[in-house]
Amino acid sequence: MQKTALRSGMTVNMRQARRRENIAGYLFMAPSLLFFLGFVIFPMVMCLVYSFTSYTMTEFSFAGLANYQRMFQDAIFGKALINTIILVLVSVPITCFFSLWVASIISKMADRTTSFFRCVFYLPVVTGSVAVTVVWKWIFNRYYGVLNYLCMSLGLINRNMNWLGDPSTALWCILTILLTTSVGQPIVLYVSALNNVDQSLVEAASVDGATNLQTFWRIKWPQIMPTTLYILVITTINSFQCFALIQLLTSGGPNHATETIMYYIYYNAFKLQNYGYGSAMGIILALIIAAFSALQFKLAKTDNG
Amino acid sequence: MKKLLALLLCAIMILPAFAFADETTEISLWTYPIGSWGDPDTVNGIIAKFNEVHPEIKVKVNYLDYASGDDQVTTAIEAKTTPDIVMEGPERLVANWGAAGKMLDISDLWDDAVKADIIAASPAVEAACKNAEGIYYEYPLCMTTHCMVINYNDFEAAGALQYLDEATHTWTTEGFLNALDALEAAGYLPTGVVYCGGQGGDQGTRALVTNLYSGQFTNADHTAYTMDSEENIKALQLLKDLVEAGKLDADPGIVAGDEIALFCNSTLSIGFCWNASAAVSNKASLADDVKVFPMAFPSDDGVPELQGGIWGFGLFDNGDEARAQAAKTFVKFVCDDENQAAASVYASGFFPTRASLGDVYAGTDKAENGEYAIFMPFLGDYYQVTGNWAAQRTEWWNLLQRIFAGGDVAAEVATYCANANK
Repeated sequence: MQKTALRSGMTVNMRQARRRENIAGYLFMAPSLLFFLGFVIFPMVMCLVYSFTSYTMTEFSFAGLANYQRMFQDAIFGKALINTIILVLVSVPITCFFSLWVASIISKMADRTTSFFRCVFYLPVVTGSVAVTVVWKWIFNRYYGVLNYLCMSLGLINRNMNWLGDPSTALWCILTILLTTSVGQPIVLYVSALNNVDQSLVEAASVDGATNLQTFWRIKWPQIMPTTLYILVITTINSFQCFALIQLLTSGGPNHATETIMYYIYYNAFKLQNYGYGSAMGIILALIIAAFSALQFKLAKTDNG
Repeated sequence: MKKLLALLLCAIMILPAFAFADETTEISLWTYPIGSWGDPDTVNGIIAKFNEVHPEIKVKVNYLDYASGDDQVTTAIEAKTTPDIVMEGPERLVANWGAAGKMLDISDLWDDAVKADIIAASPAVEAACKNAEGIYYEYPLCMTTHCMVINYNDFEAAGALQYLDEATHTWTTEGFLNALDALEAAGYLPTGVVYCGGQGGDQGTRALVTNLYSGQFTNADHTAYTMDSEENIKALQLLKDLVEAGKLDADPGIVAGDEIALFCNSTLSIGFCWNASAAVSNKASLADDVKVFPMAFPSDDGVPELQGGIWGFGLFDNGDEARAQAAKTFVKFVCDDENQAAASVYASGFFPTRASLGDVYAGTDKAENGEYAIFMPFLGDYYQVTGNWAAQRTEWWNLLQRIFAGGDVAAEVATYCANANK
């Protein structure tokens, strides 16, 4: 009887202790949770609500699916969607492959050399967008840009190209700049991931006669898969949300050749004050990003077996 | 003891809340970079002068730029954190925010004497500051005409000065074409660039097109854009032909700021976006071989109609009568005080909207600004108050891009008008 009472008392004490721990945990989380609810969840919900309204500076009324219907009939939205998907489909694989390649080279170097190259590749990431675009604008300048100068000197072109003003080259210029600002973080992550690969497995594979490619594919690649998945998802999201480069360099031109969904959302919301329509596009963009991310997770899990 | 200390600390923190009530009224001013009105030292000096007369009104200033200023104001409107006063022009104060019902009716500031003084300077200014119902949303301070600029040295070397009237700074369309030929023959290429990479400086390209064959940008009552007139289509076709012939450049990758830089570094002999303020702000960056000579836009009859720029103050309706009155007091001081008005205009680098102020630059170190007063008689219709203006601006540079990419002029203009006149 005494033992039962004692055991029961201890159980109650444990439950109380656990409850106190839980409350303490929630209290610690509260500031971040409030921030998350107020600045992430609440705006998302409001965006969804506004997407069903005709919301401008002078009007706020329920519009049902009118914004979505308008969107799928909007030729500029279609063009923006295509441009955005091109940016994603080109930048994500290139970013991943290039980052992995660079990381696999520099991770084998001396620590100082590795750190030096990590800094070099990470610099564009920490440099402000405005500074980056100003420099690239000079590089791409039709009249005195260094790119034209180099290409003319090498005989690649016979007259100055209007890189940002030509619909056939403008989007690729944006892509180039996007790549330079995207590879920094993946390189740093891959260097870390490669350094954390179990070297005993690599040595064992080497002893068993595996080639470098086999070692990489069978040993290293599975171990860096979580990092790869993270990089894929983040790079995809960043590419979908490419905005600053467009705003500062081309304003979506020439002739909507560099129009992206993010820029078109900004244009409709801030320039035309069509908040409802902009919100609807934002929802569609979020759904597309979610779909892409889910696909990437599924493929990565399939890869892992 | 610890509890006592904690209570004492709390009391010290709460105490300021019970400070004696301040009898000052605080108002906020948001200003775009209109000459030195974008310089904190200048504006603080003006506020200091104001406070000598009205110490009971405090003015806080937020400096906007044209890249993000409109976005900041839009955000403030939706967040209901608009300033009391905003300094800009009728296209924003009257046609945009005023039309949206966000601005205060400031017709009470427009007494008969002020109205007469402003009309004497330019009737277009008075007309631009009110809406179709006659409600005034803007109290103007300064104005200018947007012009273009040539490199006098290049024109002289190419023998092209004969095609312009140096005394009046005007030229005909034929003279412009002859000048382009002369510059090309002398090897001064590129001559000029029709920039169309965005809306920045679009007043230049609009004026270039409408003046070539005396077209109009809108109809008389500012209810429709009329780029599809015969004159304007002819002008656009001319520009397209000039670009295809290599006598002029078109660049969808640059805006006016880039074009001005190209002119200042002597890459171009002609600039299509210029005014008195640009002359002052770019003086230090001129290449040695650039001699600035402002010109009106070429017109078929030699009589140009130049785009006007009008800047003044509008008041947001924040529902606070005390702040509204304080804001009106400030605006009246800046624009009408006999000791301050001229200085306020001087700070802008432009010209007074009140005839009584005369030449505010005479005898000052900005005397050369007075040179640009020669264009004021050519001030044309201020049409920037036409509806759907923001969307039109995007349609305009997209129109130019499509035309210079090879599009049929009439067809592309039809698309432009259909979208702009929605």
